[in-house]
Formats: sequence, structure tokens, C-alpha cells
Amino acid sequence: MSVTAPVAPPNTPNYNDPQIVAEQIKTKYPDAVESSSAQGIVVQSDQLREVARYLHDELAFDYLNNVTSVDWQDRFEVVYNLTSLERGGAPITLKVNAARENPSVPSLVPVFRGADFQEREVYDLMGIRFEGHPNLRRILLWDGFEGYPLRKDYKEPYYEEEKKPFGSRWDKGHHVIAEDRNPWHDNVQYPSNFDAVAYKPPRDQIQVIDAAQAAAMRLRTDKIVLNFGPQHPSTHGVLRLRVTLEGETVRGVEPIVGYLHRNHDKIGERNTFVGNMPYTDRLDYFTSMANNLAYALTVEKLLGIKPPERAEYIRVIMAELTRWQNHAVALGFIYNDLGAFYTPLIYAMEERELILDLFEATAGSRMMCNYMRFGGVARDVTDDFIAKCKYLVNERLPRRTDELEAYMVGNEIFHSRAKNIGVLPRDLAINYSTAGPVLRASGVKYDIRRAEPYSIYDRFDFEIPTGTTGDLYDRFIVRVAEMRESLKILKQALDQFPAGEIMTGKKNYQVRVPKGEAYGRGENPKGELGFYVVSDGTANPYRYHVRGPSFINLTALNDMCVGYKIADMIVILGSLDIVMGEVDR
Amino acid sequence: MTLDPIVITLIEAVVKTIVVIVALLTAFAYLTLVERYVIAKIQSRIGPNRVGAIGGIALLQPIADAIKMIFKEDFWPSQADKIIYTIAPGIAVGTALLAWAVMPLHPSTEIFGYRVDFFIADVNIGVLYLLAIGSLGVYGIVLGGWGSNNKYSMLGALRSTAQMISYEVSLGLALVGVLMISGSLSLVTIVEKQSFIWNVVWQPLGFIIYFIAAVAEVNRLPFDLPEAETELVAGYQTEYSSLKFALFYMAEYINMITVSAIAATMFLGGYQGPFGILPGVHWLVLKIMFFIFVMMWMRGTLPRFRYDQLMRFGWQVLLPLALANIFITALVMLVVGA
Repeated sequence: MSVTAPVAPPNTPNYNDPQIVAEQIKTKYPDAVESSSAQGIVVQSDQLREVARYLHDELAFDYLNNVTSVDWQDRFEVVYNLTSLERGGAPITLKVNAARENPSVPSLVPVFRGADFQEREVYDLMGIRFEGHPNLRRILLWDGFEGYPLRKDYKEPYYEEEKKPFGSRWDKGHHVIAEDRNPWHDNVQYPSNFDAVAYKPPRDQIQVIDAAQAAAMRLRTDKIVLNFGPQHPSTHGVLRLRVTLEGETVRGVEPIVGYLHRNHDKIGERNTFVGNMPYTDRLDYFTSMANNLAYALTVEKLLGIKPPERAEYIRVIMAELTRWQNHAVALGFIYNDLGAFYTPLIYAMEERELILDLFEATAGSRMMCNYMRFGGVARDVTDDFIAKCKYLVNERLPRRTDELEAYMVGNEIFHSRAKNIGVLPRDLAINYSTAGPVLRASGVKYDIRRAEPYSIYDRFDFEIPTGTTGDLYDRFIVRVAEMRESLKILKQALDQFPAGEIMTGKKNYQVRVPKGEAYGRGENPKGELGFYVVSDGTANPYRYHVRGPSFINLTALNDMCVGYKIADMIVILGSLDIVMGEVDR
Repeated sequence: MTLDPIVITLIEAVVKTIVVIVALLTAFAYLTLVERYVIAKIQSRIGPNRVGAIGGIALLQPIADAIKMIFKEDFWPSQADKIIYTIAPGIAVGTALLAWAVMPLHPSTEIFGYRVDFFIADVNIGVLYLLAIGSLGVYGIVLGGWGSNNKYSMLGALRSTAQMISYEVSLGLALVGVLMISGSLSLVTIVEKQSFIWNVVWQPLGFIIYFIAAVAEVNRLPFDLPEAETELVAGYQTEYSSLKFALFYMAEYINMITVSAIAATMFLGGYQGPFGILPGVHWLVLKIMFFIFVMMWMRGTLPRFRYDQLMRFGWQVLLPLALANIFITALVMLVVGA
């Protein structure tokens, strides 16, 4: 497969405009483009891979942000968002239609390996087959699951109504319990003639290597397959890694996710737009403020509104405080994975508590903040908040950053364990659609706050720290540097902090979002958190999809781990800084 | 009524054994508490302060822990090798306790007209005995890991075997310098010979090598690979629960005390005070506590080595250094004329 470094053609036209890109595609593949508009380019399904390769190789669209799908009742639509990391700017949208019966489109894994998990997710939840995908299996749901829950005709167990707000449960004068409304009267929907006790996953789906099979395959019997997790002290939640070991050396890692799956997308479609805000807190529960921000930005794109100045500043302050505390704790966790007995983690937690105090004082909750609103924020900050925040940002946190760095980066054992371990080369990092510190550690100077500035990030002076080799050490020090940059932004934001309104318009429980679709994203501490929202003009999103950076960063795990020791694998996983709430959604 | 001297010796031995075992088990219980406090202070936490707290120190915490341990479900993995699985913790604790048979604790004194020696046995090959018993300790871990029939336990046990064998060599060689100076394998003689100047003055390198190897020997951070929590869940003790788990825990702490006691005896003059001031068991206890504190301190500070780094360090750094130490000692003794 081609991972050649993209070369920008001379006299580059504005490739951020889908129309121009569509024209370019037409020069090479005249029949490929069905239609094109500002919303995206619709491509013929049979030429999708050629077009994608053309975009990747010739037009330098080297980064696949997001893959998702929409059920339009009469057809399916698979949506791809592509960016050029060098040019930056908003992603262009590529769409391809699939029939309602036996939907199938060509897989983009040969072009973008980052499509791997995302296409599996689309297959899992929407039932669209990706021809040529190397490993098209369910990913979030279990292998025996029947039905595709994101299809509009799917009714989940305990289904009540199509959209919130649900009708009264007391409307007949007595309480109707949800279970009674459930069409299947059972918690789990099994396929017909399914016997849960006798069920065994098909052999081709689960690679069980027993003695007889091993002998038949002439496998070297000194390889063992070890299930790391889902209950394991250092898998950061209910993640399972199926690891093939040769002694202590890792020969293969397959992340198995979905233990925390709750179909966030479907819940989002039932919810109203505002009602969805607290659900975004639960994606990456370390960074709820940043999640709120990304979601608010997306819906504001559809609404076409901008929050007032003060709200913008509050948002930036909250997002950057979030970034600092997330990175501090992430570094502590990496050290835990290295075998330290919680000390660095607790030092980080100590500072995190102070930041959470600020969140609590403003949003009312420490972790599940539910703070941003469309066109502003929920509550104004007090002068006390500003004073405390200034103390933290100007005095305490810089000192603590230095301390943490001195304790952790200066350690000899850390150097010997982190350097040249878990190397993710630049090309691979881009091709795997990794995001955030993982991408930057591999030497890609890409940060959405600079590439496609949202909110008021274009006003601040800050650097994008990058690594050189993409090893564990780089991923570590990139995070330390980002903590410093966050403090820099915070200092500027607090100095410029204006007075004024915190909300455009009045507070509203029900926003009417105009018809349309938008892919909005924010630079979360973990990477690019994207929301793909389709509105049909009602109070509920027609389609709501989350691009979780943790989930997509996991795609690269196997390539980072193979050949290293089992102890390294744990730290490499830690350096991805995943949160299962976001991976499993 | 006079007793047969053999009976007296027998009674004396039994009493001393019981006293040592009880003291060790109590020390183990309270060491867990001490460790929790030390780590808590390092991590700017408070530490346990509820059970029987006097002045904020939970004095009954170890007892509460013990009761909790006893009443936990004694879990048996269905595929485990029942016999090996059961005896492994026993072996671990047994070997840990056996080492104390030759440890001199206090200078000999007259009590009620009897001359009492404060050691259970003065074996003329005391050091050899200690090393031999120390090597046996690995059986508890290996058998526990093997008997559990669990992949994590297995990996932990294998790591432990490799680690303990590698570091055993350096550990033993580090002590050879002391033996050369003292001219005896008996611990009592070694201690008596340090009444003026401790061996650590003559053997600084040997002391450092011994301490590093000892930390590796008792599987403490940064060498705690056999039970590496973040990698192998709990290594060889993954499948253990209830009292059997407690026994492994007990073995680990008693081993800590043992290697500290050996370090104190061989290098810091055992029960001898500095320059012969007030010899007595309290000096030994103080020295042991110092070593244990350093081990806890390291646990609160350092991350873990990787397995291959650990092996490389053992064979390529510690072993040559230990050999060089013996060589230099011999050379100096030859030149000075001992």
C-alpha cells in the first residue's frame, strides 16, 4: 500500500472547497463524481477507492478524519472526512451511496489504514459491508448480535418512542413501566433459534488456537495467546487485548473493545440537541469540558451562531484547564504503567483536584460538567474563579509542571525504558489517522487549534510541540510541552478576559436546528474529537456520530507493539492515553 | 531439682524459636502498616487513621487486615494443581522463617544463672546456610505460579526464577569480601569481629552490590517483576486469595527483614553499636528498620525495570563488579598482609 509522503502540486488551488476538489477529480475520473456541493462530494461507489487514492496521492489529502454513515431510509450514505495535514483547514466531505438492500461499498483500508476500526464500526452498527476490508467483523457489539442498531427501523430493547422528550408514563393515570412497552419483552434481542448456552463463535471469527489446531498448522507451540483484560489493572478500563506472546516478546496485539458500549450515537438521535450535552461528558470523562466544546461548536456550525466574547474566553479557559489536568494525569498513568507505585499519579491528581474545584464552582460538577451551551456557556464565572484561576495559572501550575517534569523526565529508568520503544513512524501515524499528542509525537506539526482555528484560538500565541521519532519518550515529553503551552494560552486568556454576556440569545431548552449536516471538531487533549451531526430541522438530530480519538488511536496499537516486550506494550497502551468511555461509546 | 542439660538446651531452643517467630510475624504485621504510612507520606496522603487510632496512627489496622484476610473466600482455581497450589505459600513462608535460625540478635548474657545465647544456632557455615535457604525461597514462588495454572502466574514464576537465580550469584559473591576479611562463615564470629569498625568501611562496593541484589532478591521495586501489577496483574499470586495470599505477603515481608538483617549483620556490625557503644538487639532493629525504610522509599519513588534490562544489569553489571570486589579485596589483603 502506498504511504508516500504527499507532495503539494504547484499553484495549489483552494482544495478546502469541495467544488474545486470535485472539478479536480473530474479531470482524472470523469464519471466518478455524482454531484458536488458545499456539503460534500458524492462519488460513485465503484470508483471510490480510486478517487480516494487520487485524493491521497495527488491532492495530498493524507488524513482520514472520520468515517460514518447515515441511514436515509431509501438508501445508505457513507461519509468520509478528509484533510490535508500540511494545508490544514476544514476537512472536505466525501460521500458514497449504498443500496438499502445488501449495502456494500469498497473499503478504504488499502488507502487509509485508519479506516480499519471506523469501517468495522459502520459495518457493526449500520450493516454496510466494506468490500476488501481485511477483517470485517463486529467491533463494538458481540459477534452473535442480530440487527444493525443505527438503522432507522431498528428498535432497541426497552424502546419507548422515536424521539425525546418521551410522552408521560402516567398518561393513562397509572405508571407504565418501560419493560412493558418493549416489543420483545426481554433485555437482549437474540437471533431466532439462538441458544445462548450452546453458542460458540464461528472459528473464522475467533482465532482459538488449541493443541490439535496448532499441530495441524505447524505452529510453534511456544507462542501463547494471552487475554489481557477486560479485567486487568492496567488496561485503562474494560479493554481486552488479545496478545500473542513468544516468551516475553509481543508478536501481535488485537484490541477487543465494546464492553462499555451503549450506542452513544443512537442515544444521541433519540435525544434533543441540548439534551445531548451531558451525554458528551461521558465520552471521555477526563475531559468533559473539551467534549462539550467540540459538540457545541458542531451544532453552532449548523445554527450559524457565535457565542459572545466572554463566553469564548470562558470556553478556552475551561478547555485548556482540562488539557492541563488530562495530560498531568495521563503522565502519571504512564508512570504507573512503567511500574511506579502511584506516586507521580497522585502528585498529578493533587493538582487536578484544584482544577476540578474550579469546574465545580462554575459548572456545579467536578467531572460531568455539562457546561457549554449552543451560543455560550451555562453559567457565568465569578471574580473568585478568576482570582483562583490566576493563582493556579501564574504560580502553582507552572511550578508543578516543572516539578513533575523534573521527577519524571529526569529519571534514568524512564529514559532506558521509554527511548526507542513503541515507535510510530510519521507516515504510519498519519495513515492510521492517529490524533493529538500521538500524532504530534511522530513529528507531525498538526493541531486543529492552528490548522482550523475554532473559538478564539487564533488570538493566542502558542507553539505546537512535536516529537522526532514517535517513540514513548516523545509522546511523554510532547504532553509535558503541551501542558506548558496550555498555561501560556491560559495566561493570555486571563489577561484579556472581557466582561459581557455569556450567551447569545436567551437560554432555551429546545433549539431548532436548521436542516443540514456538519462535521465539527475540537482539539481534545486526547486528539481530534469530531462530531458529525445531521439535522432534519426538528429538535432531535437525525444522525449523530462521534469520532473518538481514543478509539481511532487504538488502530495503531498493533504496529506499535509488535516486537517489543510485554512490559512495553502496557506502557505503549498507556501512552495512547485512551479512555474506554470514548472508545466504546 | 536439676534438669538434664540436653533438656535445658531443648527448652531453650524451643522458647527462642517461638519468640523469634512471634516477633517476626508481629514485625510483618506492623511493617505493612509502616509501609502504608511511609508511602502515604511520600505521596502526600494521610494513610490509615481509623482502626484503633491513637494520635492518628491506626494501631489495630494490621489486626483488622488479618481478620479480613482470614474471612476472605479461599478460592481454588478449577484447573489448579491442588497439592502444589496449597503447599507453595507454605514453602515461601517456611524458607523465609528458617533463615532466622542462625541470625545473632544480641550479645550472649547471663540470665538466672544460665548463659543465654541470643541466636538459635551458631552454625559454623552460617552464611552458606543463609544463602542456601534464600535460594529455596524461589520454590514457593515458582510452584505457586506453576500450580495456579494461570498464564500470568506462569509468566511471573518464570520471571522470578530467572531473576532470583541471576541475582543470587551477585548476592553471594558480594558477601565473599566480608568472609575474606572475617575469616569465618559463622555469623556470630563475623559480628564479633566488627566490634570496632564495621565491615562497610572496608567493603563499600560489596555493600552496595549486596543491597541492590537483595532488593532484587525480595522482589521489591524497581525489581518487582515477578508480581508486576501493571503487567502480570499480580504475577505468581494472581490466583491466590485469603490466607494463602497472606502467606505470600508474609513471606515477602519476612524476606525483607531477613535480607536487611543480613546486610546489618555482615556490613553494619549486627547488634554492635557504632565503635562498640552499647551493643544490643535495639541496634540490630534500628539497622534493619533503616534498610526497610530505604526499600519503601524506593518503592514510592522508582518505576520498574524491564525484564531484559534487569537480566542485563544482573549479569553484565553486578556480577563483574562483585567479582572485581573479591579480586580487589584479595589483592589488598595480600599487600597489607591482613
